[in-house]
Amino acid sequence: MSMPLPASPNSAASGAPLLVLRKLDKRFGATHALKAVDLTFEEGEIHAIVGENGAGKSTLIKLLTGVYPRSSGEVFWRGERVPLVNPHEAIGLGINAVHQEVVLCRHLSVASNIFLGDEMTRAGLLNHKAMLDEAQRLLDELGFDLPAGAVLSSLTIGQQQLVATARAERRGAKFLIFDEPTAYLTRQETAALFKLIRRLKANGVTIVYISHRLEEVFELCDRVSILRDGALVGTRRVEETNEADLIALMINRTIDQIYLKDKVPLGATILETEAIGGKGFHDVSIRVREGEIVGLYGLIGAGRSEFVLSLFGRFPAASGKIFWKGAEVAIRSERAAMALGVALAPESRRDQGLCLNLGVGFNINLPIYRRLGLGPLINLAKEASCADKQIRDVQIKTASRAALVSSLSGGNQQKVVIGKWLNHGAKLFIFDEPTVGVDVGTKAEIYRLLGSLLRQGAGIIMISSYLPEVYELADTLHVFRRGGIVASHGFKDASHETILTEAIGV
Amino acid sequence: MSDQNVSNARRNGAGLNILLGLTLLGLLLAMWLALSFETTTFWSAVNIANLLRQGAMIAILAIGETFVIITGGIDLSVGAVAGFVSMMVAWLLTHDLGLASSIAGAIAISLAIGVFIGAFHAFGVVQMGLPPFIMTLATMYSLRGIGLLITNGATISITNDAFTGFSRASFLGFPWTDGSWFEIPMLFWMVLLVAVPAYILLNQSRWGRYLFAIGSNSEAARLSGVNVKAMTYLAYIISASFAAFVGVLLAMRIGIGNPTQAEGWELQAIASSVIGGTSLFGALGSVHGPLIGSFILTTINNGANLLNLNPFWQRIITGALIIIVVYFDGLRRKKR
Repeated sequence: MSMPLPASPNSAASGAPLLVLRKLDKRFGATHALKAVDLTFEEGEIHAIVGENGAGKSTLIKLLTGVYPRSSGEVFWRGERVPLVNPHEAIGLGINAVHQEVVLCRHLSVASNIFLGDEMTRAGLLNHKAMLDEAQRLLDELGFDLPAGAVLSSLTIGQQQLVATARAERRGAKFLIFDEPTAYLTRQETAALFKLIRRLKANGVTIVYISHRLEEVFELCDRVSILRDGALVGTRRVEETNEADLIALMINRTIDQIYLKDKVPLGATILETEAIGGKGFHDVSIRVREGEIVGLYGLIGAGRSEFVLSLFGRFPAASGKIFWKGAEVAIRSERAAMALGVALAPESRRDQGLCLNLGVGFNINLPIYRRLGLGPLINLAKEASCADKQIRDVQIKTASRAALVSSLSGGNQQKVVIGKWLNHGAKLFIFDEPTVGVDVGTKAEIYRLLGSLLRQGAGIIMISSYLPEVYELADTLHVFRRGGIVASHGFKDASHETILTEAIGV
Repeated sequence: MSDQNVSNARRNGAGLNILLGLTLLGLLLAMWLALSFETTTFWSAVNIANLLRQGAMIAILAIGETFVIITGGIDLSVGAVAGFVSMMVAWLLTHDLGLASSIAGAIAISLAIGVFIGAFHAFGVVQMGLPPFIMTLATMYSLRGIGLLITNGATISITNDAFTGFSRASFLGFPWTDGSWFEIPMLFWMVLLVAVPAYILLNQSRWGRYLFAIGSNSEAARLSGVNVKAMTYLAYIISASFAAFVGVLLAMRIGIGNPTQAEGWELQAIASSVIGGTSLFGALGSVHGPLIGSFILTTINNGANLLNLNPFWQRIITGALIIIVVYFDGLRRKKR
């Protein structure tokens, strides 16, 4: 199934491939999460794993890093059979993972995080100075523009991701797994990360690269393996395949067009802002009409999220005017925004979007409990039917409305984040990075949802750091840089390069 | 309960709680059964009525405490509030202040004091950004101090028999298994008086849902339109006013007012709540859980006395029980 690479100098030395999986299998109760997967990872290759959400990528990572024990199958490390049953063993071999959701200590400094569990000491005491210097040297060398002394929580999610990578590099990994590393990264940060990955490869490190962004696979990787429903459906050298081919293998059907968008005639103006400003943004003037998608593109930290949070009353604007259907309004709280008819699906589903340890139905109904009964009392039958309807309409794959949101896959969690607002009857929908960490199939479903909202006469503000997405979907595209709008475009009336240049400001 | 209601309740983790509630109830009944066989005195109308009286006050404290814990907070002051209010109600009754010194007036003022203290806690947590543990730890100390200042350290005796008589009164009775007459103590009726509205608030109202949402992820709750500040006030006011109510009942039961009473009751309330399946991380809890939990603790106490166990063992058994119950609770949740 997997074709051997021409032997690299390193693998020639040791003879056997770095890691071989034979008939690797994993069951969770009745769920067959991984079905007898055979895979070979050569030393010093960048090996992409692609597949839809729920195809078994996460399970594979957890088996490789020893987090879960496998149900059956064998693992060979440099030709020798290894048990690989706990994380400690995996780290001992040199297997490390950089996760999509950053798992670091938010209250510690960048340097402390890089050295966490491997601190430099002098006479038994922590040597803060040496760690700070070494961390800064590492960051500078990697081309990350980050101060090593900064507290992690003061960084953007993208920057935190880079710290996680620097940490893995420092731990001397032989086999490094990247799980959706660029989901939250800006273009510059992505470029820095790719540079780092290539450097690791040159040093003989084997990279497993998991991403929903297929163009990254072609830009970066040597080989790509495709998982579908827990089974390996193929391994290809990247030069022997193309995006359409991969998508067909991933979802077992071809999609001609992911960015399906029917043109909806634009109606009356819903929202207009006149030079509003607040913490992190200034002088922002936009207009959203019925049936319109207004895209906000920019690098992470450009002030887009702060701007939309002000429209939702989370951090009310300090200056400027907001007009709702022509009348000037002040949006001082989330409830005031909701009363007008504004809905917000926030950027981070873990931190802002979901009550993870509560049920799917609970999360869906949370914004509309006010309408689910008489006074403060809830009509339990209505509560149940509302949740079920939404789960059906948005096609959330869940055991029941009572299942905890934390048990859902990332894509389905995102559908909950979006689905909870569809019952609300809002007029203006704000989606902040609606497809981060979501597979191609789910993306298409989310875009279809946007389309149906537009046809109902709603307006949409969509923030995205993924240019193809806003480029293809937005009727009006505003480019943000350093808290302000630096350029505005109509539907596809500028090239990718132009927009990118405006966002970066070179 | 219909299937629909069951699955509805399960949405906020209450379905799991019903299951846990049933096993806890089983544990309580098993303890009662064992004590009935082991002692001649346990299963008598007098002792059971006594047990219901003994457990009533911790039960009410535990239910109030649970509201705060569900939001991810903690209220360490409930014992101090009960002690302080027992002093205040005694002080009011023994002075000549017109309406305020009538029984109704004194109770109303006492409950108002509870509401005020709860609002003060929420103010500290919401407006001043203090951790709930610190805020309520501070009032736990201060309230005892204020009480001692007012009374100058003395104990106030309550001479009003109409007031103190209530704690010994009963309402509704039925023949006991041995033919004697059993009457349900008023103090236990007070538990139901508090528990039923608390249950409706927590499980059937949107405010209850909001409390769970805040405990799970307060930012997500806020961005879903939940008035997090107001709900936080609600939780702390419920906890403190339930504690004030317990203070009134305490004054009735012991016939004196003394701000140093009810020492350590906050920990008994928290223990009852935790035994009843409440998670100290928030977003998981019920009304029946702490209710049963508190009577399990009371039964250990009562049973140990009847068995002539060294009273020090009660504490050891209580500690062991907390570890065992919470451990199995965690196992059950993982399996799910």
